[in-house]
Amino acid sequence: MMDLLRILVAPVVWLAAFSAVYGLQGVLCAAPPEGTVAGLPMARVLLALSFAAALLVQVALLVLLLSRRFGASRGFVRTVSLGGGLVGVVATVWTLFPVLALPLCQ
Amino acid sequence: MNALARHRRLTAIWSSRPGWKGLFSTVNHNDVGLMFLVTAFFYFFVAGVLAMLIRAQLATPHSAFAGPEIYNQIFTMHGTLMMFLFAIPAIEGMAIYLLPKMLGTRDLAYPRLGAYGYWCYFFGGAMLLVSLLLGIAPDGGWFMYPPLTGKVYSPGINTDFWLLGITFVEISAISAAVEFTVSILRYRAPGMSLSKMPIFAWYMLVTSLMILTGFPPLILGSILLELERTFGLPFFQVELGGDSLLWQHLFWLFGHPEVYIIFLPAAGVVSTILPVMASTTLLGYRYVVAAAVALAILSFGLWVHHMFTTGIPHMGLAFFSAASTLVAVPTSVQVFAWIGTLWKGRPQLRLPMLHILGFFATFVIGGLTGVMVAVVPFDWQVHDTAFVTAHLHYVLFGGFVFPLLAALYYWLPLATGRARFFRLGEVAFALIFIGFHVTFLAMHFAGLMGQRRRISTYSPEDGWTAINLISSIGGFILAFGLVMVLIEVVLHLVVRHRAPRNLWRAGTLEWATAMLPPAYNFASLPEVDDREPLRADPDLPARLARGEGYLGEPNGMMRETLAVDVASGTPEHHVIYPGNTHLPIVLAAVTGLFFLALLLKVLWVAPLAMIGVAVLAWRWVWVLGRREDAGAVSVGCGLSLPTIAEVDRPPGWWGSVFLLVADATLFGSLLFGYAFLWTIAPGWPPPEWIAPSAIVVALAGVGVALSIIGPFFATRANAGGSNPAVGLALSLAGSAAIAAALVAMLMMAPSPTGHAYGATLLVLGGYGILHAIVVALMAAFLIARVRAGYTSPRRRAEIAILPVWGAYGGGIAVVILLAAYLPVALS
Repeated sequence: MMDLLRILVAPVVWLAAFSAVYGLQGVLCAAPPEGTVAGLPMARVLLALSFAAALLVQVALLVLLLSRRFGASRGFVRTVSLGGGLVGVVATVWTLFPVLALPLCQ
Repeated sequence: MNALARHRRLTAIWSSRPGWKGLFSTVNHNDVGLMFLVTAFFYFFVAGVLAMLIRAQLATPHSAFAGPEIYNQIFTMHGTLMMFLFAIPAIEGMAIYLLPKMLGTRDLAYPRLGAYGYWCYFFGGAMLLVSLLLGIAPDGGWFMYPPLTGKVYSPGINTDFWLLGITFVEISAISAAVEFTVSILRYRAPGMSLSKMPIFAWYMLVTSLMILTGFPPLILGSILLELERTFGLPFFQVELGGDSLLWQHLFWLFGHPEVYIIFLPAAGVVSTILPVMASTTLLGYRYVVAAAVALAILSFGLWVHHMFTTGIPHMGLAFFSAASTLVAVPTSVQVFAWIGTLWKGRPQLRLPMLHILGFFATFVIGGLTGVMVAVVPFDWQVHDTAFVTAHLHYVLFGGFVFPLLAALYYWLPLATGRARFFRLGEVAFALIFIGFHVTFLAMHFAGLMGQRRRISTYSPEDGWTAINLISSIGGFILAFGLVMVLIEVVLHLVVRHRAPRNLWRAGTLEWATAMLPPAYNFASLPEVDDREPLRADPDLPARLARGEGYLGEPNGMMRETLAVDVASGTPEHHVIYPGNTHLPIVLAAVTGLFFLALLLKVLWVAPLAMIGVAVLAWRWVWVLGRREDAGAVSVGCGLSLPTIAEVDRPPGWWGSVFLLVADATLFGSLLFGYAFLWTIAPGWPPPEWIAPSAIVVALAGVGVALSIIGPFFATRANAGGSNPAVGLALSLAGSAAIAAALVAMLMMAPSPTGHAYGATLLVLGGYGILHAIVVALMAAFLIARVRAGYTSPRRRAEIAILPVWGAYGGGIAVVILLAAYLPVALS
């Protein structure tokens, strides 16, 4: 089961983060928080922070999958799990970068 | 014992009862798989006829062939039958038939569950078919959007047939997914590690996990819509706090992964057959596995791309547009692996290969138009037009039907023991390929010219007449091609032209069985140390027939196989399967009675049917197990292993874990729906909140504690040789306390028909109560088993399952109370 976990963990965490950020965006549009940080609306800041947190988690997972302690020792599982880790990082950047650029609720 | 005597003995043990009556009691995967396939292809034929009726209707403007009411039923049932009664069951049938052979074992993990799934499919499909014959078939489109399918606009029984029939049929998908997952992880040939699994098994493992997490949102949506239609719970009525967009979210949370659930097994077929046709091995096996896993999980992040025109903010659109373009990457990895495989091998243009080439050409076009509709501005232009119809047919026909036809021609000799004699297949392929592209390439242009989907007719001034006529002619050419395939299969069955063993010179284990395969698959189980065992050891089939593998000596009348370690494939347990029984068909019939009662609104029958299901489920489990310790059992090759009754994690534990994955997804979807309504639906906040109660919280707290501690005590007591009944009784009391707390909570909740808030609380509470009842039944069952002498410190497997369910039941009770009371506190 550990091998399956290694293979699935990064993309599944991406899916959870992706859904959470989408949900957060919905909540922030339904009940916009007041205030600004460095001239940016609070909603934008919260979304950017969630994006950064998701990316940080993915990078941490990739490092873990590369490590001797958590990473797989078998060649096959190692390749597939690292592939998953890479997919997690790329998918997080590619699918969540709109939080930095696009209008929030239009 | 010589090979012939062993064959006769094993055949007597594993065969179904003789004659056609044997079909009603068989649980053997060979029978069940073929039954699934025959039924699925029957529905393919019916849905194909409906497609021809659609093309006949649209061939000319102002057609009077069918009126709009009948036409609505025709196109709805075409899509419904193709998606739910053909594609998914065909995958199930193919996998049920092939997987044990490919994995080098004798059957799937839960043979009776496979048969139960088939009969649910059979009865559920029959419900839909009857509705079609009576002219009261579903008519709201295959995705059944409310408010069109709500009681106001669809007052008849048509929509109920869809909601209840499809939910009934989906029991078979969930049961098959649990069975495949556990089988692939635990029921393989000794030595078959994860890296040596046949690629098809990897694809089916990924697909099964997708079914477990993809189907529950639709099941939930169907339940909610049926509750609205039958009891007036307003989940999708805007004026009462509901939102019709909730249906779209739930449907496409299922609907988009569904496309990949259909495509991935077909990709598994391509990855299996293509290297054989090219006389080589699959290039980049591990990258293909990684791509399949990535594709499966990414596909769950695309559902909103079906809803680009619903007014979602631009940022949300951008999330899903980006995710939609991203799936092209792992898909391309697979396509390039296939091209590379062709490049390094020596491809031969045999009939399965023709269909694979057809798949390449068609699916790549479908993939590219998929990237087009992933781009939001383009999607706004073509949404709900024939362009999308064309795109989805390129993906589904290209990505599924062509590989399925390749699989048919590739594995039919295995299933029948006969080779093709007539050569209709090549002509049939040409007609199918040409007919398909004429039909659907033309349809792209009709869509770009503004032809909307699902219209029953159009006028000559629209300018679509020539395109539609061409499309209809193509459709009939395609139909002729498919009929020729059917004729060839019939001729194949009639003409005795014996096939040689392993006629394609493949390397996977299904070709190590006799042709046609006996009911037991392998006279003895192989030790595997290569991904293509037959290529590494061509003498393997003869050695297995001589009983030189594991379990080569039949033991009484027991159906035996081995369970292995997930990662390494090291043999761990000795497994004894149940034999032929009528329980699956009877249980499916009683399950069907529940759905029929709801359909016909004879509501008092429904709880009686549920009690019947519980009684039969009790019987289902009771007939397993033994009253004495078996100790280690010799399995051949000098190895002795414990039986599954004497392990900590028996098959039932594994099945429970994966069933609970599906269950938790349904619960998560319900919470998502609650959050969606709360934040997005216009009719919120509700006029009245539930009143939090300290008594309810305290009662639930006691119940949760007992439902977690009780099974723990029972397991410890049993392991120590003490009576586990006290722990089981605590578990029972815990479940009763949870149920009582949730009933009390619901009694204090606002009316479920007045606002979606009350309706959601009712469903949340009902879900928790249902699980408390299930856990209570399990505890009561175990108390009876302990009293009857079915457990001992060694025979601990049955008790090991309860903690999983107890923890889940307790966990959801906590979440339900939080979901009910937290919003009140926050507001």
